[in-house]
Amino acid sequence: MAKKDQYKNRIELVQGTLDMLILQTLQWGPQHGYGIVQALHTQSGEVLKVETGSLYPALHRLERQGWVRSEWKRTESNQRARYYQITAAGKKQLVSDHDRWQQVVKAIAAVMQVQTSGGE
Amino acid sequence: MRIRRKRVKEIDEEIATHIAMATADRIARGESPQRAHQGAVNEFGNPLLVRETTWRMWGGEWWEHVVQDLRYAWRQMQRSSSFTLTVIVTLAVGIGAAMAMFTVVERVLLNSLPYENGGHLVAVEESGRKGDFPNVRWLDIQQWRFKARSFEEIGFYTRASGRPFLEGDSGAQQVTQQFVSSNLFQALGVRPALGQGFSNSEGQTFANGSNDNSVVLSDSVWRESFGARQDILGSVVRISGQPYTVVGVMPRSFAFPFPATKPQVWTAVALKESDSTRTSQSPTYQVIARLKREVKLSTAQAEMNAIQTDVAKQYTDRYLRDLVDSVKVQSYDDSLIQPEVRRALLSLFTASGLLWFIACVNVAGLLLTRGTVRQREVALRGALGASRMRIIQQLLLEGLMLSVGGSLLGLIFAVGLLKLFSHGLAMQLNVEGAMPGGKALIALLVLTMGSAIASALWPAVTSARVSIEPVLRQSAGQSSVSRSQYQTRSFLVILQIALSLVLLVSCGLLLRTIYALRHVPLGFRTDHIVVGSMAIPSYRFAGQNINKKLYEPLLEHARGLPGVESATLMTEVPLGRTYQMAFSFAAEGNSADAVKRRDFRAQFRAVGPDAQKVFGFKMLKGRFFNDGDIAGSQPVVVVNRAFVKQFSESDDPNKIMGQNLLSLDKGKPSIVIGVLDDTRQVSPADQSAPEIEVFLPQLVPGNFLYRASEGMAMDLAIRSSRDSSSLIPELRSLIAKTTPELADTNFTTMTQVVEDAYGSQQIMSRLLTVFGVSALLLCLSGIYGLLAQLVSQRTREIGVRVALGASRDQIFRLILSQAGRMMVVGTVAGLTLAWFTSHLVSGFLYGIATHDVMTMATVAVVLATGGLAAAWIPAKRAAAINPVEALRAE
Repeated sequence: MAKKDQYKNRIELVQGTLDMLILQTLQWGPQHGYGIVQALHTQSGEVLKVETGSLYPALHRLERQGWVRSEWKRTESNQRARYYQITAAGKKQLVSDHDRWQQVVKAIAAVMQVQTSGGE
Repeated sequence: MRIRRKRVKEIDEEIATHIAMATADRIARGESPQRAHQGAVNEFGNPLLVRETTWRMWGGEWWEHVVQDLRYAWRQMQRSSSFTLTVIVTLAVGIGAAMAMFTVVERVLLNSLPYENGGHLVAVEESGRKGDFPNVRWLDIQQWRFKARSFEEIGFYTRASGRPFLEGDSGAQQVTQQFVSSNLFQALGVRPALGQGFSNSEGQTFANGSNDNSVVLSDSVWRESFGARQDILGSVVRISGQPYTVVGVMPRSFAFPFPATKPQVWTAVALKESDSTRTSQSPTYQVIARLKREVKLSTAQAEMNAIQTDVAKQYTDRYLRDLVDSVKVQSYDDSLIQPEVRRALLSLFTASGLLWFIACVNVAGLLLTRGTVRQREVALRGALGASRMRIIQQLLLEGLMLSVGGSLLGLIFAVGLLKLFSHGLAMQLNVEGAMPGGKALIALLVLTMGSAIASALWPAVTSARVSIEPVLRQSAGQSSVSRSQYQTRSFLVILQIALSLVLLVSCGLLLRTIYALRHVPLGFRTDHIVVGSMAIPSYRFAGQNINKKLYEPLLEHARGLPGVESATLMTEVPLGRTYQMAFSFAAEGNSADAVKRRDFRAQFRAVGPDAQKVFGFKMLKGRFFNDGDIAGSQPVVVVNRAFVKQFSESDDPNKIMGQNLLSLDKGKPSIVIGVLDDTRQVSPADQSAPEIEVFLPQLVPGNFLYRASEGMAMDLAIRSSRDSSSLIPELRSLIAKTTPELADTNFTTMTQVVEDAYGSQQIMSRLLTVFGVSALLLCLSGIYGLLAQLVSQRTREIGVRVALGASRDQIFRLILSQAGRMMVVGTVAGLTLAWFTSHLVSGFLYGIATHDVMTMATVAVVLATGGLAAAWIPAKRAAAINPVEALRAE
């Protein structure tokens, strides 16, 4: 009960979208939290800036669900960091998340289309 | 806990890494290290919040809080150990009482029978003009069996008379022997663990000849007498001298009838000629039947009533027919518990529940007080962001911990209480060695939770509702009690007073009952008498006169012991409840006179020489038996006053003197030579019943009374100036020398026999005294606690009053009047409540009315005195307040 209100994602990403984005980012190889933030930032054309308060809970939630696993490794600059890696189950989840997301996008697009054409 | 710490550490490290990386990036972009770090930290947000939300993803934070709260509660408990102790002891009193009573109730009322689907078993009795008769003639059972469709199986049984002894591999042991129909075990749905049991050949499921000399042993007999020999099947064992072939051993838990008081054996009923008659001489059996799965009790009852109409018609003797004209089918489970015992147990259980509730209310009061003391702490937690729910949860957990403590101590109390009253429970409520078991522990768990909720919920909610700001603004240690809170607490005290009164009034009524019972003239002396109840192994004396062989030498030896004044024997000492014999006239016919004679029942006792010397029975008329009455002389009997009254319908003993009431032998009528004054025979509360006594030396082998009077049970009664504790061991060794079976003889004193005969009132009055006194103490501590708190919190106000000229007397009275008001309201409410609840115990009262004003007044006075005493100390303290100090102590 308390969990829901504990933290509101300030970018207001659609529920579940952050998970999908993280999994997508991890497709290209293991990455640490900071790396994921940077990657999403760059890849979104510097639009998306994921809050740490959303990112880390999401990462741990994904790990608990078995979609990613983590290990401590050294970075190139010899910094110890926790790397997250997508699992087979995570890949499956990504595919299904992606499908669903596409459907949602299509559906929303369809609605918006109707509205715009109706307006003319 | 360790997992949690590790995880948190990892998250912290992850956060540190994140910030370090961001800092490094910023430095690479050309920021100064210090600004870079600051920027990274700012960008990151609130690390504590991130850590908390991230960690929460793993679940279990609820548990984490519980653990935190428990630790906190533990520290709180340690910090205020005297408060903790008070609460725990208070709860333990309530929980202990409730636990003990639950254990007893569970043992008696909730016990499941060791049979297959015990709920389908019913006891079938005949009833008629003179009430229910559990004893049914074989012909009737046979009819039921052929006609009734409600039952899967109808079995029957009867207890072998006397005291059977089974000769085992090493000596004889006393057993209970039941003659059972060969289908009885089938009806119970239990198969022997060893062997086949009785054979049910030729589709004849009733008793038949092929089983006549077979015996089924109980597990305990098999183990104790035969060392659990596997080859026991087929061997011949002797029961009271008769040979039987072992055909089975029952499973360990099995007992029938349930519960077993002695090791049990079962032999098959051997039907005789007389079984196919319907006369007053026909043998009778108790009937147990198994209902078909889908048949309801009421259906079976209706069917049996219809059948019984036909069955009763077959009685040619109208007198007997009127006694059996209907049938009562009741659950076998219910038939095992006497209604009086059930009511006594339920009353006691209710009383213990009440005590438990009083204890909870008391603790609720204590926790409320504590809530005021801890207002600041709670407010501070609230100010630091603890939610109201969290605070309630934490306070409830504290309550739970306290009640766990209370439960543990309560369990000890319960065991102690059960130990303390084990004799009374066994004697008066047939509860042998009850100790908390599995079900009781579940009940303990429920009690623990219940106590926590009942005592801590309200205080917790009240505390959590406190508004934060005003409390924090107050100076430390000066938390105030709001008017409404004081009212709440006085309400709790009043509730305790009222409920305690309910307990105390029932306790008072029973104490008065016991007092009245103790002053009932018993009609005989009870002091300085030692009683030994012997089970007579008469098979050892077959063909001999047991009088000459056993009793006369025994008495002679007993008289020879130092300090013994006189010694006698009787089939049963008064109030003994060991071996009761009944006398009735052998009358026939249905004339009014004959019916009167046939209805006549008297207690029968065979007594030995010197019985009058030992017990001091008083004669109203004529003489008691004396040395002149011997085997060959004129047979004589003695009757009591009640006998005269009922027999001759007058108080004049002369009407019965010299009459012939029974014959010891054909052609040898005995005459009445004396009339005894009445004595209490079964219970001090029961009026004397008619009684007739014969003289042991006059009974010789061959007399029809000989076997029943001399060969089954005999009480040895010794009057001695010596202390029973030194005499009993000497008697025991003396008696064991006569014949080894008598070594198990149960010795007690006549005083104890009387004590045990007071019945359930005795145990009820004692337990209710314990409960009532506990309730009273709790209640007084409640009054004291509230006033003490009041005084300490109103120190300043009182100081001001004194400074303004109030006299010490006025202050003293002010505080006492607070107590007085609570007590008046509580007493009025309590007495009103007690007026209604005393009906619960009305069935147990003797010599006192249910609404006895004296008892109620006494109880109210006791409570008022105690209450004033409890208020005295705080009132004195208030009166002693020094205004200067009180005002300075800001």
